[in-house]
Amino acid sequence: MDIQLKRGLLDVCVLAAIKNEASYGYKIIKDLKPYIELSESTLYTILKRLETANLLTVSTAEHGGRLRKYYHITNDGLKRIEDFKNEWQEILSIYQFVSKEDITDD
Amino acid sequence: MTKVNFLFELRDKLSGLSKEDIEERLNFYSEMIEDRMEEGLSEEDAVAAIGTTDEIAKQTIAETSFTKIAKEKLKVKKSHNTWEIVLLALGFPIWASLLVAAVAVILSLYASLWAVIISLWAVFAAFIGCAVGGIISGIIFALNSNTLTAIAMLAAALVCAGLSIFTFFGCKLATKGILLLTKKVIIAIKRFFIKKGEAK
Repeated sequence: MDIQLKRGLLDVCVLAAIKNEASYGYKIIKDLKPYIELSESTLYTILKRLETANLLTVSTAEHGGRLRKYYHITNDGLKRIEDFKNEWQEILSIYQFVSKEDITDD
Repeated sequence: MTKVNFLFELRDKLSGLSKEDIEERLNFYSEMIEDRMEEGLSEEDAVAAIGTTDEIAKQTIAETSFTKIAKEKLKVKKSHNTWEIVLLALGFPIWASLLVAAVAVILSLYASLWAVIISLWAVFAAFIGCAVGGIISGIIFALNSNTLTAIAMLAAALVCAGLSIFTFFGCKLATKGILLLTKKVIIAIKRFFIKKGEAK
């Protein structure tokens, strides 16, 4: 897959994983596993990038006698997901157009 | 491998990045291992699930920008003591010219590699030119009823066209090879800087 496209997809996947409630690293990986295989180092890079872009914020909370980082989505993050959905609506209609050409050719 | 060993190894392989950056990354991996253990995995398995420290270090270095590494390198340099700085300043005419010469040599080697590539493409272009020229002159000879010359010209044009196809694939392969080599060298240079940071 095209690297730029994959990067965009991964960003939105991670945002979607924290959309409804704040989540932590391992849970994000587990939640995304059925859809996309994510390594720890890749996730780290994505989280860092999203944090820098103000699409999520980080908080630290105690859990079982140790600290754990939780990731919260921001309004910008929510907007990013909406933008993504709208963009893909367009891509989907283009996809349907391209696929239709295939069928009439056969 | 135990968690402590894993983190120790990783710290060693990431040295060259900034202190805060390393700390943050180690905390992240430590949390990941602990969350896995909490789920019932043994320490050994939890560490194995994260991947090897070599893989992580390699990916991290590839993702970290040159400027970030260079900045860290400069920070390390600040810890030189006074007489080292004096020596550096006094030796400037010598080491600066040596450095410039070294960089120039490396650049010229790199440029000559590309010169080879460009000349390969020139050969390709020449074959195409011969093929086109051969066909045109073949037609002209044919029109002037020089049949034998026309056939010879057209045959030569076909040979050139065939050769041009061969050279095209060769050129493409060589260009790809050089680009790959460039990428590898850049990663190697980053690694070299990081190794140097380690030694301090």
